[in-house]
Amino acid sequence: MRRSIIAAACAAILAVFAAGPVAAQDKPSLTVGAIYVGSVNDYGYNRAMKDGLEEMKRNIPGLKLIEAENVPESAESERVMEGMIQQGAKLIFATSFGHQQFAFNLAKAHPDVYFEHAGGWMQAPNFGNFFGATQAAWYPMGVAAGKMTKSNTLGFVVGVPIGYAIGNVNAFEMGARSVNPAAQTRVVVTGGWSDKAKEAAAANALIDQGADIVTMHVDSPATIIQAAASRNAYAIGFQSIEAAQLAPKFWITGLGFTWGPFMTETAKSVMAGTFKPAMVRQGLGQGMMAVAPFGEAVPADVRTLVTAAADRVGQGFNPFTGPVTDNTGVVRIPAGQAWGGEQMGNFDWYVEGVIGKAK
Amino acid sequence: MNPALIAGIVAGAVMSGTSLLYATLGEIVGERAGIVNLGLEGIMLIGAASGFAVTALSGSPYLGVAAAAIAGAAANLIFAYVVVSRRANQLAAGLSLMFFGIGLSALIGRPFVGALISGLPRLAVPGLAPGGIGARLLSYDSLVYLALPTALLTWWLIFRTRWGLSLRTVGESPAAAFAAGVRPELVQYQALTFAGVLGGIAGAHMSVALTLTWAEGMTAGRGFIAIALVIFAKWNPLWAIAGALLFGGAEGLQLQLQAAGADVSPFIMNMTPYLLTLLVLILWGWRRQSAAPAALGRTFVGVE
Repeated sequence: MRRSIIAAACAAILAVFAAGPVAAQDKPSLTVGAIYVGSVNDYGYNRAMKDGLEEMKRNIPGLKLIEAENVPESAESERVMEGMIQQGAKLIFATSFGHQQFAFNLAKAHPDVYFEHAGGWMQAPNFGNFFGATQAAWYPMGVAAGKMTKSNTLGFVVGVPIGYAIGNVNAFEMGARSVNPAAQTRVVVTGGWSDKAKEAAAANALIDQGADIVTMHVDSPATIIQAAASRNAYAIGFQSIEAAQLAPKFWITGLGFTWGPFMTETAKSVMAGTFKPAMVRQGLGQGMMAVAPFGEAVPADVRTLVTAAADRVGQGFNPFTGPVTDNTGVVRIPAGQAWGGEQMGNFDWYVEGVIGKAK
Repeated sequence: MNPALIAGIVAGAVMSGTSLLYATLGEIVGERAGIVNLGLEGIMLIGAASGFAVTALSGSPYLGVAAAAIAGAAANLIFAYVVVSRRANQLAAGLSLMFFGIGLSALIGRPFVGALISGLPRLAVPGLAPGGIGARLLSYDSLVYLALPTALLTWWLIFRTRWGLSLRTVGESPAAAFAAGVRPELVQYQALTFAGVLGGIAGAHMSVALTLTWAEGMTAGRGFIAIALVIFAKWNPLWAIAGALLFGGAEGLQLQLQAAGADVSPFIMNMTPYLLTLLVLILWGWRRQSAAPAALGRTFVGVE
C-alpha cells in the first residue's frame, strides 16, 4: 500500500512531464494514453506492453503516446488516466488486471474516449478488453524443455497459483512429456508476482532438486533467468520475447506477448470511428503470442520440433483434450471432452508429471 | 531428506540470512544507544537501489556496496538529526524515514530497472567439484564471508570497548552517561551512522549479490523482520547470527520443500516465516523486559 502511494505520485508526475507542451501546428492524429503497473524495463509483462504500443506508434503517423509507469491498481490509476484524457487522449490502454474497474468508471464518465483493458471481462460501447491465450502456447515451450533436459527434471517458478498460471504449468509439462515421457516438472510458488529474493531462492531450490531448465510465471523473468545461469542451468522465458539477452548462453527460448498488431488495429478503428468493443483472446498464430528466438545452445532438430508444435497450436491443437489425468491419478478431463476459453481459469490441479500441490 | 535438499536449505539460509544479519546488527547498535529505528526497511531499500545503481554505472560491485554503505549512513544521519537533535518521536520519525526510503530508492533505482550487472563474485572454497554439494555449501560472495566477522566485531564493540560501555550507558540512562562525562547525543549519532552503514550493506546484498536486480520495494518487509530479530537476539550480536540463520532458513526451507515435492499447500508454506516471527515474539515476549535497554525509545532532553 505504502509503496503504491509513492509509485502513484511518481506516476502522476511523470504523466504530466511526459505530456509536455504541444505545439499547435503538429496536432497529433490520435492521442493514446497507456498505464503500466510496473517499469517498462522489466524484461517482462510491462516490456511486452510497451513494445506493442511502440509498434502501434510506428504504424500510425502522427500518433502521440502518453505513458505512465508504476501506476498502482488503485483509485490512483483513475486519476492518472483522467489526467491523460485532459491532455487529449481518445484511446487508453489500461494494461494491468487491477486497473479494470477504474478504467471502466472513466469509460462511463467519458463516452467519447475509448478504453482497452488487458485481461478483464467488462464490456461497454467504448470499453473492450484483450489478452493473450497463454495456456496452449506453453505446450511448445514444454517441447523445447523436454528435448533439452538431461536430468529429466524441469523447474517452474509460479508467483501466485491462480488457475491460469496452473494451466500454463500443465500445458508445459504436457508438451515436455510429448517428446520425453520421463520429463517431470517441479513447481515452487513464491506467493507474489514480484518478490525478487524469493524468486532467486526458488530457482536455486529447483536446481538443487535436479532441475537443469527453469521457467517461470512471474511479472519479470530477469531474476530467475540470472539465478539459473549463475548455476549453469538453462532458462525458458515468459512475458516478453526480449529476455534472451539476460543470459544468452543459457537461453533456450521463451513465450511472449505480441500486442502490436491488435493495438494498431484498435487505434485505427478509433480514428475511423468504427471502434467495436470485444473480448479478444488470441494465442499462438493468432497475433497476440509468439515464440521468442532460440538460444545458441538449441540444436536445429529441437528448433524444428518446437516450431512445429507452435504451428500445431496455432492451427487449433488443444492440449487439454481428454483424457487428461491429474498428478494423483484422477481423470479430470474425460475422453471426448476438452477444456478451453474461460475454463483455463478453473485449474486447481496439476497434470500427471507435475510435482507440486495446487491448493 | 536427500543431501541436495539439506545442502540447499543450509545454503539458502546463509544467502538470505546475510542481509538480515547485517540489518539486525545495525539495529542492535542503534537500539543499544536507546534509539528505535523503524525506518530500517527504508534504509535497506536506499542501500539496495544505490548499490545497484553504482554497480551498474561503474561496473564494480564493490564500489556499489561502498556506495550503499555511504547512502545508508547518510539517510540514517538525517534520522539522527530528527530524533537526537530535534528530539522528535522515534516511532513517528522512523516510519517517516521508511516512507522516505521507499520513495528515494524508487527515484534512485528508476533509471536502472532492467540494467544488467555482474554482481559480487562467488568465491568458492578451492578443490570442490563444481555443481556438487560441497560447492553448493561453500560458494558465497564476500559479503557472506564478512557477515560473521562483522557480528563478532559488533559484539566486541558493544561489550569489550570503552565506546561500547558509553553506548550501553546511553541506552540504559542518558542522564547517567551525561553525568559520567559522555555526550549522549554524540554517541547516538555514532551509533546511528554505524547502523546506517550496515543497513545499506544489507540492502546492497539483496540487489548486488542475491538477485542482481533492482525492483521497487524489493526488500519486501525484511527490514521489519530484522527489527523483530533484535528482540529475538536480546540485543546481542551473537544471538543475531542464530536468528538471521533461523529466519533466512525458514524462507529457504519452505521453497526447498516445495521443490522437493512436499505434500503441503503452497499457501501454508509461504506463511511459515511470518508464523515463525509471531511465534518467536510470543515466546520471547517475557524476556524482553530484562534485556531491552532501559531508555529505549525515550527522548533524552538533557538534565536539569
